[in-house]
Amino acid sequence: MPVTDKDMREELAAAEPARFWRSLEERARTPAFRRMLDAEFPEIAERYATATDRRTALKLLGASLLMAGMGTAKAAEGIAPYVEQPENLVPGEPQFYASTLNERGYGMGVIVEAHEGRPTKIEGNPNHPASLGGTDPIMQAAAFSLYEPTRSRTVLKGNEVATWGAFQAEVAELRERALLQGGAGIGVVIGPNTSLTLQRLFSQLQQAMPALRFYLSDPLAGTPRPYAVLPHFDEAKIVVSLGADFLGEGPGRLAAARGFADSRRVRAGGQRTMSRLYCLESIASLTGAKADSHLLVRPSAMDETVARLATAMQSGTGDDAFTTALVRDARAAGNGLLFIAGERESAFVHATAQRLNQPSAGITHTLIAPVATAPADSGSLYDLVTDIGVGAITSLFVLDCDLMHSAPADLDVGAALEHVSSLYHHGLHVDETARKADWHVPATHDLESWGDLRAFDGTASIVQPLIAPLYQGRTIAELAAALTGDFVSSSLDLTRATWAQLDDAGWREALKRGVIADTAAPAITAPPLAEIANPVQEAAQIDVVLTPDPFLDGGTHAANLFLTELPRPLTKLVWGNAAELAPATAQTLGVATGDLIEIGIDKQVLALPAFISPGQAPDTVVVPLGFGRWTGEDSDTVGTNAFPLRRRGNAWLLAGARVKKGQGSGRIITTQEHHAMEGRDIVRDVPLAAIADEGPSAQEPPSLYPPYEMPEEAWGMSIDLTACIGCNACVAACQAENNSPVVGPDEMAVGHDMHWLRVDRYYAGDPEAPETVFQPVPCMQCEDAPCEVVCPVNATVHTHDGLNAQVYNRCVGTRYCSQNCPYKVRRFNFFQYQDFDEGSPLSLLMNPNVSVRERGVMEKCTYCVQRISAARIQSEISDQPIADGAVQTACQQACPTRAITFGNIKDKQSAVAREKTEPHSYALLEELGTRPRTTYLARVTNRPDEDKGNG
Amino acid sequence: MGRIGPYSKGNAVAQVFSSRANQIVYFVLYGALVLIILSPTIWIVLDRSFYHTGQFYALEQPAPFSHAHHVGEVGLDCRYCHQGVETTASAGLPATEVCMTCHSQIFSDAPILAPVRKSLASGVPLVWNRVNSLPDFVFFNHAVHVNNGVGCVSCHGRVDEMPLTWQEMPLTMEWCLGCHRDPGPNLRPESAEFSMDWQPVGDRKKLASELMAHFHIDTRTMTDCYACHR
Repeated sequence: MPVTDKDMREELAAAEPARFWRSLEERARTPAFRRMLDAEFPEIAERYATATDRRTALKLLGASLLMAGMGTAKAAEGIAPYVEQPENLVPGEPQFYASTLNERGYGMGVIVEAHEGRPTKIEGNPNHPASLGGTDPIMQAAAFSLYEPTRSRTVLKGNEVATWGAFQAEVAELRERALLQGGAGIGVVIGPNTSLTLQRLFSQLQQAMPALRFYLSDPLAGTPRPYAVLPHFDEAKIVVSLGADFLGEGPGRLAAARGFADSRRVRAGGQRTMSRLYCLESIASLTGAKADSHLLVRPSAMDETVARLATAMQSGTGDDAFTTALVRDARAAGNGLLFIAGERESAFVHATAQRLNQPSAGITHTLIAPVATAPADSGSLYDLVTDIGVGAITSLFVLDCDLMHSAPADLDVGAALEHVSSLYHHGLHVDETARKADWHVPATHDLESWGDLRAFDGTASIVQPLIAPLYQGRTIAELAAALTGDFVSSSLDLTRATWAQLDDAGWREALKRGVIADTAAPAITAPPLAEIANPVQEAAQIDVVLTPDPFLDGGTHAANLFLTELPRPLTKLVWGNAAELAPATAQTLGVATGDLIEIGIDKQVLALPAFISPGQAPDTVVVPLGFGRWTGEDSDTVGTNAFPLRRRGNAWLLAGARVKKGQGSGRIITTQEHHAMEGRDIVRDVPLAAIADEGPSAQEPPSLYPPYEMPEEAWGMSIDLTACIGCNACVAACQAENNSPVVGPDEMAVGHDMHWLRVDRYYAGDPEAPETVFQPVPCMQCEDAPCEVVCPVNATVHTHDGLNAQVYNRCVGTRYCSQNCPYKVRRFNFFQYQDFDEGSPLSLLMNPNVSVRERGVMEKCTYCVQRISAARIQSEISDQPIADGAVQTACQQACPTRAITFGNIKDKQSAVAREKTEPHSYALLEELGTRPRTTYLARVTNRPDEDKGNG
Repeated sequence: MGRIGPYSKGNAVAQVFSSRANQIVYFVLYGALVLIILSPTIWIVLDRSFYHTGQFYALEQPAPFSHAHHVGEVGLDCRYCHQGVETTASAGLPATEVCMTCHSQIFSDAPILAPVRKSLASGVPLVWNRVNSLPDFVFFNHAVHVNNGVGCVSCHGRVDEMPLTWQEMPLTMEWCLGCHRDPGPNLRPESAEFSMDWQPVGDRKKLASELMAHFHIDTRTMTDCYACHR
């Protein structure tokens, strides 16, 4: 729904908007938005506009009656028991194994649920430092990428199907020849990887072939520095982010999110203080959204602003409100000060952060040596192309990276790869790079591999397979071993050889716990401060800055449709990327959402649709990377690849970029206006100082219904808006747990998203520098539910433990319930979204404890009733009551910040009952008298201007 | 030139319908009326007929396994083969190796056991035909029933008298709900869970209420939809 600039500004001027708003259209109350609000399922009328005439309707009716009578009795279903019953496997009972997933080369510890050997669901591993029990959307979607249908399945020689044995023979021959020349002529391109097994094999390889060269392809690499900062948020009173999205990016983000949220968990009877976050940023981020005070700085002005901040810290006076408050707070905080510099900020920003951090070293943070992600003397892609050009590389192994997709424009990788006499590719997909290769070996998915990975703090853990490789996949370690002349060791043998110090018991313990004890990197003392002069950056009229997409990374997960369809945390964009810019920038350029923007560098011009996104820095256009990657013949590329905008030394902030309005418009699909609960007091916030000491006097609104009895447990949920960082892990977890389908771009565009849980993102204040608030909205499980009374077939009914149950097999699809739901949490299957092709591996992804819904059926959040049922059955068998915490909903379990509490509200000692007595607890639209079981804790703010006496 | 009909003589107007035609019309009209009135009854009866529920129809199996022999004559316990029945949702079917623990010793050459030996030798599972089949949207759990006083016989009938296994009970929602609303009469003490011929003695009503108390059965949540549909 594009909003025209004129419309919007006029309306903005005329209307007095609600304090919180989800989009500029909503704020301006454009006619288009009103229309969307008035229609329950907007655009459905247009969609089914072709009216069926009476005759056709009668014909169809007759035909369906006839066909209904033509059904035949179903043949008996087959049951195939095992021939030999595997130990520890009981059919029907899920199994849980600890493993590790690879994210940009770092390990994320997980517990994987498997049903009869097929992994279906990922949970965080509480023992693992990078997870602490939480997950992110990428981890939740890992099972999808395992079964993703476009994965590469066989070894290919040219375009012909070949075998692993044939590939090994080829490598053996190559090795014989290369050994004579010490490996000269062989190059290996790898992505970042912290595996110690790989490092061991690579160093063996280097010893055997000293002339062999390694190249690192890390298109998302940040600024190199000789240390890594491990923040301790429990000690930090004042946190200052210098362009750092520590909640949304990086291998330690889940741990950071947990620590940060815990330092801000204010409760009437408990913690009464919270940290304060100052954020200086140029790209709207999750961290910026949680900031108590934030300053938007265009990327080219970042260094200068940080320099001024550093001066102000010394002099004690700032020249704007942000700096003044920050300096004042920093003085008061003493050693409780923590500066975090963004991954991709300049060396100057890092050096400044390091200098400002020095007094609090060891208190608010520790430093460790960076975890190695590649062999020490790896070359860059530029070196690779040069080496190929001079004929120094004739045989090239490209291991698990898509060079053709991520190469910058001034590097003709395509031509260089043509020059290599034999090119070997290893990866999950037959992508563009694989098409250039002489040999392609399919990679194994993490859930099919043995291996090891290190976390952000150095802790090593084992990658344990849950299933034998579905196809002819091999691990990088097996390829590397072949190059070292080891053609027999499996990846398990290779991993165990690396961890030879672990005896059998130690190995089993490491597998069971999901971490190898005492492997965290030791703290180092701060390296001497480098004096880096403040570089003067030339400011273009408009800055163009690239950023990795939060879910697809640099295109690694481009084939994962779970992630493609998951709304981006801030823009709520799905199925594609856009040039994101602030309203004022859009006005300068004369573009509205959907208009094409042309970004030119040299002769390269990229056109992509504009998306007006409040919270971006002024005069800045932000373009996410990771889209437009081709992943094989059956795949569609989604979005626009922005890597070709890059130049040497020009990886993130694109100097010399020209920006102008283009011709025509592009497709923007965003869910930000779907399911609007407009014009009411929906998100609430409360200043820290205003929190009362006691809970609300529970005043239930009057009701004509009889009071609600609670004969059994009374399930309820509480969601803490202060802790919620809007990362969408809960949405992904819900989709993975409850067999929710991927519906595709066309369906998303008309508002037919099937996510049972949505995270609404609200803005408040000035559209140029708004505050951002996230609110997850699952089904409220109302005690007096409006949906129940309107169902003509009793398909939505109340259970004795207070659930608002949806009975799929009874539903006839009238959609009255959805019309009557004030929270807009019901989802309708307009089509047969899960009609798998014969033999599609995606059918293996399904959770066997949840019905797969078919066309014409309404569905919604059930509080993960399958998990409640499992607990109840256990309690019936053992005659023990269900303990508090025994039932965790999928969203609750996935949440990295523990923002969601679930349990029995009848038990006054339960965690959820205590949350509900907090003074800042409130129910959504409670004036309607629906008595929702899901309630919220208002967002507690700690803005600098709320301080007493400083007002 | 008028067309000459079969009954016409000369140019006289033919009698198109015979005098019996009226009766046919009456028959059709009244018949339709009766059919309309009866159709709900027919629907209800057909829906519960053995034809529709599949009761008492012994399915062909890859090997003609006889519960009558194994349970009735040999006296095997249910749990020897259906190991998961006390702990998991699915009672479980025995792996081929379970069959072969005995049949490697006895009837080791019997021709009817050829498929079983072949399965063990080739590693390809036997594919049995499901006798008691529930729709995919029904989630039945054996363990919770067996641990709360519902015996095997209550749903599966006297399998010790079935040469080939058939479905004993209708397995309709009406039948499930009958017991979920009032489980008392179908309960038995723990000691009789796996018994094929247990009969209650004494006051059945008293026994039912005693067993309800003994197993802590609260019927209120047992008719919640999500007890079976998730």
